[in-house]
Amino acid sequence: MKRRDFLAALGATAAAAGLPLKAAPAEAPSGRITLLHTNDTHSHIEPFGPGNGSLSGRGGVARRATLVKRLRAEVGASLLLDAGDVFQGTPYFNEYKGRLDYRLMRMVGYDAGTLGNHDFDNGVDLLVQAMESMERMDHPNPPFPFVNCNFDFAGAPELGKRVRPYLVRDFPGIRVGITGVGVAFAGLVAPKNHEGVGWRNPFESLKPVVKHLREVEKADLVVVLSHLGYQMLDGEFDDLRLPAHVPGVDAIIGGHSHTFLDTPTRVPQALGETLIFQVGFGGVNLGRMDFAMVRGQAKAASGSSMPVEG
Amino acid sequence: MPNPLKRSLLIPALLSFLGAHQPPAVKPGQAESIPVTSAIADDPALAATIAPYAAKIKASFGQPLVKAPQGLFRGRRGEENLLGYWVADTMREAARQAIDAPVRFAITNSGGLRANLRPGQLKVEDIYELMPFENELVVVELTGAEVIQVVREGLLRRGGEPCSGVRVKVEGTPAKALLTITWADGSPIDPAEVVKVATTDYLYGGGDAIPTLRKGRKPFTTGLTLRQILLDRCAALGRAGRDLLPPAPGRYQVPAELQEALREKKLNLQEPGVRP
Repeated sequence: MKRRDFLAALGATAAAAGLPLKAAPAEAPSGRITLLHTNDTHSHIEPFGPGNGSLSGRGGVARRATLVKRLRAEVGASLLLDAGDVFQGTPYFNEYKGRLDYRLMRMVGYDAGTLGNHDFDNGVDLLVQAMESMERMDHPNPPFPFVNCNFDFAGAPELGKRVRPYLVRDFPGIRVGITGVGVAFAGLVAPKNHEGVGWRNPFESLKPVVKHLREVEKADLVVVLSHLGYQMLDGEFDDLRLPAHVPGVDAIIGGHSHTFLDTPTRVPQALGETLIFQVGFGGVNLGRMDFAMVRGQAKAASGSSMPVEG
Repeated sequence: MPNPLKRSLLIPALLSFLGAHQPPAVKPGQAESIPVTSAIADDPALAATIAPYAAKIKASFGQPLVKAPQGLFRGRRGEENLLGYWVADTMREAARQAIDAPVRFAITNSGGLRANLRPGQLKVEDIYELMPFENELVVVELTGAEVIQVVREGLLRRGGEPCSGVRVKVEGTPAKALLTITWADGSPIDPAEVVKVATTDYLYGGGDAIPTLRKGRKPFTTGLTLRQILLDRCAALGRAGRDLLPPAPGRYQVPAELQEALREKKLNLQEPGVRP
């Protein structure tokens, strides 16, 4: 049923029954959530200029804000998430050291992000400064938190207190748990730039967190913000291999490999299936994944063109 | 599989008649990658926030540096990376000036060169796009044997990393390829000789899989970023009224068949010969 027809039908019935009728649909439908997401935006605050092939003229954070606002008005319950590597790639990062990137993300209305290797490019102190700058700005949107469960922040307390192992968000009829994992520093981040931050096996780190989100927090939907990469043939850890090692993840919002997927890849796992999505880089696309509660379980929107792997 | 979302259309609609809640009509669920194009207007608040930052960036980054009539290009993996050769040459010269002593060899990583320099007038922003990282120029000591090993590692793992000061030749067949490395003037490399080598803190720290670079002794951190030395070089050429031209090809001589094998990691490289 189209929305207009539905409202008309509802209005007629409500009027006939003498019931009060709200002027606008203020509440989200129960048990549904839309995940909106980006990855590897790499300081592409402005759209790509000419000379960038098929990316020319695409992207831009001010347009992304419009798109997010429009979608949020349409879908109701939603989360806006980022899979890391916000930093590095344009003069904006060199000039403003990531402070502007994070501040604009707060203005767009991000709910959470995670850390990619390039977010450490100027070292831990400047990363913390960028987060602080975003936290301190005067804006109606709340500051957004960061999630990661496989970095050890024992030697970097200022960063550690800004990155949570997971967070839980409640929506009508659906509870969402969000965590994150990051790629190994070796060969990607100079030791002085991640001083005090250790890296652990992301799959082993995820297992207890996902279990806790499912069993203790009673999350209906578990989302991982992953900066491991979609398919990394040279390495041990990637998004495609994650579901077999860590069952119970409903959605992986991926990054790092700058992979352009049109629809999520569905991978069966011990407790159901995992949807893996990644939308290129530079903010040229915004990802969208809808989930709905069906008989007590979160199910992904079915899309006929979604490829199945595994 | 039945579409669960169609079913869920009816239930909230029904509930809304019974209770006070009135949900919006539910569209079928979606999963898609939505292009961000010029068809979407800028959010006015974001655009207004960005404008002054953009103006400041444009003012400094729009400054002209030098003309590069042919441009400088990276080439594909295994092909000659003239842009990389220029960066390595500039590193070697800047390192020589920094330590006031001869620097025999320089190496950087092609993965760190993030954009080609397109033909025409180069501006400050072009160099930032080429080298967005804050990587620092570092000078270390290696033996001649270690220099050969560094080149070999770069060749096998990355198809040949941009170098300055040497000539590299691969001959034979993919199953039996022979590597020959000499100094740039064709003279042999003495495996025991200790030489000064310019590289980046990133590679010296173990980045991009050239492990032998980590053996570098007596590291001297110059405090100069690679970007700064490239900016300085371009500005100096521009001030002198000269063009920026690509270095001559021929530094890596790898036949097409062996390039292909290198890309596919199917090249069996024999122990390097030190003499041409």
